[in-house]
Amino acid sequence: MSAGAQPMLEARGLTRRFHGLYAVNDVSFTLQPGEILGLIGPNGAGKTTLINLISGTLFADQGELIFEDRRIERLHPYQRAHIGIGRTFQVMKPFPRLSVLENVTVGALFGFGGGERNRDKAREQARALLEFTGLDRRMDQNADQLGGPDRKRLELAKALAMRPKLLLLDEVMAGLNHVEVDEVVTIIKKIRDSGVTILVIEHVMRAIRSLSDRIIVLHHGEKIAEGLPDTVLADARVVEAYLGKRRA
Amino acid sequence: MVRAILLILAVVFLAAAPFFGDAVMIQYGIDALLFATLAQAWNILGGFTGYASFGNSAFYGLGTYGTAIAMAQLHLPFWVGLSLGAFLAVLCAVVIGLPILRLRGHYFAIATLGLSATLAAIISNLDISGRNIGLILPLTRNDVGFYEEALALLVASTLTVMWIAKSRFGMGLIAIREDEDAAQVMGINTTFYKVVALMLSAFFTAIAGGIHAYWITFIDPASAFDLSLNVRMVIMAMFGGPGTVLGPVVGSFILSAVYDALASSISTAAALLFGMVIVLAVIFMPRGLWDLGHGLRQVGWRYFLQNIRLHRL
Repeated sequence: MSAGAQPMLEARGLTRRFHGLYAVNDVSFTLQPGEILGLIGPNGAGKTTLINLISGTLFADQGELIFEDRRIERLHPYQRAHIGIGRTFQVMKPFPRLSVLENVTVGALFGFGGGERNRDKAREQARALLEFTGLDRRMDQNADQLGGPDRKRLELAKALAMRPKLLLLDEVMAGLNHVEVDEVVTIIKKIRDSGVTILVIEHVMRAIRSLSDRIIVLHHGEKIAEGLPDTVLADARVVEAYLGKRRA
Repeated sequence: MVRAILLILAVVFLAAAPFFGDAVMIQYGIDALLFATLAQAWNILGGFTGYASFGNSAFYGLGTYGTAIAMAQLHLPFWVGLSLGAFLAVLCAVVIGLPILRLRGHYFAIATLGLSATLAAIISNLDISGRNIGLILPLTRNDVGFYEEALALLVASTLTVMWIAKSRFGMGLIAIREDEDAAQVMGINTTFYKVVALMLSAFFTAIAGGIHAYWITFIDPASAFDLSLNVRMVIMAMFGGPGTVLGPVVGSFILSAVYDALASSISTAAALLFGMVIVLAVIFMPRGLWDLGHGLRQVGWRYFLQNIRLHRL
């Protein structure tokens, strides 16, 4: 990334407590346009909370969030969607009794810039995205009839339908087999190539290593490492956070 | 297209019916049409948005009293009374809706439960509303006129619901019903959508209350803010098919007909009807008549077994 480039997103000292317990503690980082930033850390490290803070699902107790020159930490989730922030949920949130096509159409109807006003046009956009994510054959099924992997794809398609500039992916590969992981990695790279900046939480190390330009590591809500994938994954503190301290 | 023609024919038939029926049938008709409107209005919030309201009887009461106060106390024409009632109800929807629409599921239902009792208590203590004695409206013997007004209101509310079912706005409501958190991060201003849904629901409910008040000519707090009326709206909408365009209308027509038939022969059975309907409907057809129709065509009688397994055992 060239120095001095305008970051897509900048977090300064983000903090969120739950009953006195720090879920995210004084976390700062930047995301450059077109970058894929990997976010890793052990269970309970605060990764999902951090994404919730960025999407507005939760408000930060302290700290600043700057999206394209604009302070956004007090904006409502729908306002953040309108300026171009889209996300998926780790605990997937399909609209269960709507068809797959309708699910994705909702993203196109709202989303960036308030979305497409015309329902037919929105449906066409949704159809194209279902082809892109390989869900077109499931188009007319209700979302609650989908199996796990297809639900993950649906989460992704719904977020993409919002035409986000910044996409927050919360474990879209959990529970997928090797072949499916490779498929999703390919899809995510294509999304980036179309000009979308991506923040991705993932436990599948193979995937995070091949996807990320940079990685940040959270542990007990604090950022303990940041840098290139190979450097970060070899860092002693990161290994320790995942595996525990080696005893003499 | 065929559906549209059938609907128009149905409306024409209903509009012509009072010119062929006797006086008692017309009265049953007015009741049935007003109930169908109430069920349809409830459907906007309960069926499409997924917020089960027990505050609609409060909107009904405000519509009733708005009309009665305007006509009996201020000697204004009927349409001014209807407007006043509708205005009060919509205002109440905004003022009450903003705080309590933050609550979800059962919490919302319980919060709305107290609304009509509270308003009834206030109304009972105001001179302009006749305290707890009530108000008498000017007498008009024109049942055919009331019938056609009730029908026009039902058509208007159903057209509104048709628009909701097809529009971007309606898609937003449905998304809120299906998953409010997801709806929010997808760019839906959920607070705004929910409040507008509540306002629409309040509007039609209040007009129905106003027409009923002028027709029945006497109102008091107990009958205007009657919670059992709200329960009937819910049962009728649930029975017909919440979240569908015609389900609540068909459901309430059927239940009104059965109720009136029972009430004139075996009145104790009539009292039991709504309780029985809700129990059976929840077990065997939790998504109403509309879904039942689809289910029977697709899997036949196994539809009932599926529901029992899905929701009970």
